[in-house]
Amino acid sequence: MEQLGLLQRNEGLGQGRFAVEVKHVSKSYGETEIYTDLHFQLLKGTFVALVGPIGSGKTTMLNMFAGLDKPSSGTVIVMGQDITKMSDDALGEFRAATIGFVPQVQTLIPELTVRENVELPLHFAKVDREDLQRKTDYVLEKVGIRGESKRVVSTLSVGEKQMVSFARAMVNDPPILLLDEPTEALDPLMAEVILGLLRGDNLTQGKTVFVTTHDRRVTELARRTLRVKKRIP
Amino acid sequence: MSRGASLHEGQLLARSLKVSKSTHLLVASVAAAVAANAAAAILMTGTVGQIALLALIFVTLAAGTTAISSDIYVRSSQTIANLRSIGASSRSLSSAVFFSVIGYGIAGSALGAGLGAALGVTLGGQGGVVSLSIAVLGVILASSAAAAAGVYAGGRRTWSS
Repeated sequence: MEQLGLLQRNEGLGQGRFAVEVKHVSKSYGETEIYTDLHFQLLKGTFVALVGPIGSGKTTMLNMFAGLDKPSSGTVIVMGQDITKMSDDALGEFRAATIGFVPQVQTLIPELTVRENVELPLHFAKVDREDLQRKTDYVLEKVGIRGESKRVVSTLSVGEKQMVSFARAMVNDPPILLLDEPTEALDPLMAEVILGLLRGDNLTQGKTVFVTTHDRRVTELARRTLRVKKRIP
Repeated sequence: MSRGASLHEGQLLARSLKVSKSTHLLVASVAAAVAANAAAAILMTGTVGQIALLALIFVTLAAGTTAISSDIYVRSSQTIANLRSIGASSRSLSSAVFFSVIGYGIAGSALGAGLGAALGVTLGGQGGVVSLSIAVLGVILASSAAAAAGVYAGGRRTWSS
C-alpha cells in the first residue's frame, strides 16, 4: 500500500500511458493545507482505491481529478489534457465525454425520472437521439434498474438512488470512472452488483477506476491502493 | 445533435432548474403588461414620445427579465453544481433557460401590444394603419429584444459571479 500526504510518489512521466497525472499539486483551503507537492500517475486501465481517515482529503482529490476543484498550485492532467487550464465550458464538455462521476452525496435531479436522470450526461455529450435511447436502455439493463426507469427519483430509496448514480456515470461509456465511497449506501446485494460491474468494466473494457472507500471488498478488488495518512486538523 | 434531442434536452434542463409554468406565466404577464401600456400610449404621442416609450419598454423589461433569470440560477445553484459534475456547461444551461423562457416573453409582448393598440384606438389615439403598425410591431420588437437581452444578461451575470 502506498502512502500519500507524508510519502510522495515520483514515478517517471510519460505521454499516453496515463489516465491521470498529478504534477506537484498542492491544495489548501485558507490556512488549512490538504496536500503539499503531490506527484504521481495512474496508468490507463488501472483500478485504484484511495483509503484514509474521514476528513483526510480523499474527496478533494477526486474532485480535482474531475475538475470540480482546482489545485492551489501544480497541474492535473487527465487523459493527456491539462484540466487545470481549461475554461468552465471546456471542462464541462471534457467531463461529459471522459469522466463518469459518482459523488458521495446524491446529485440526482429529484424531479426527473430515473431514465431522464441517466440520459442527462448523453445530452451534454451531444449524443444523437438514437444512440441516446440505445445507450440509456443498455445501462439501465446492465445495472438492473430498467424496471424502475419511469419512477421519479424522489420516490427511490437511498440505495436505489445510488444505483441510478452508477447508471448515470456509466451511460456514456467513459474511459475513467471516479467513485466516492460507492458502496456506502448499498445493501450487500446491490454492492455485489456494482462491484461486479466495476470489475468487469475495468478488466474487459480497460476502464480506469478510481475509488475512495472504507470498504474492504473494494480494496480487495483494486490493483493498487493509495493511503492518505494524515487527518487534516 | 438532432433538433428533437435538442428540444428534449432543453425541456429536461428547464425542469431540472425548476423553470415552471409559474415562471413562464410571470415572464408572459410582465411582458404583456408593459407592452399593453406602451402600445396604448404610443398611439397618443408624437415621434419623440414614441421613441422614448420604446426605449422605456426595452429598459424596464430587460431589467425585469434579468432579475427573473438571475433568480432561476440562484434558486437552482445546487442543481447547477450537480449538473456541472456530469458534464453540463454554462452554455448548455444558459441556452436551456433562454429557450424555455423567451417564447413566453414574445407571446406576452404580442398579446399585450395587440390589446394595448386596441385600447389606444378606443381611447381616441391615432387609428391609421401606419400608426397601428408602429405601435404593435415596435412594441413587440422592443419588448422581445428586451426579454432576450434580459434573460441572456441574467445568465452571464450569474456565471461570471
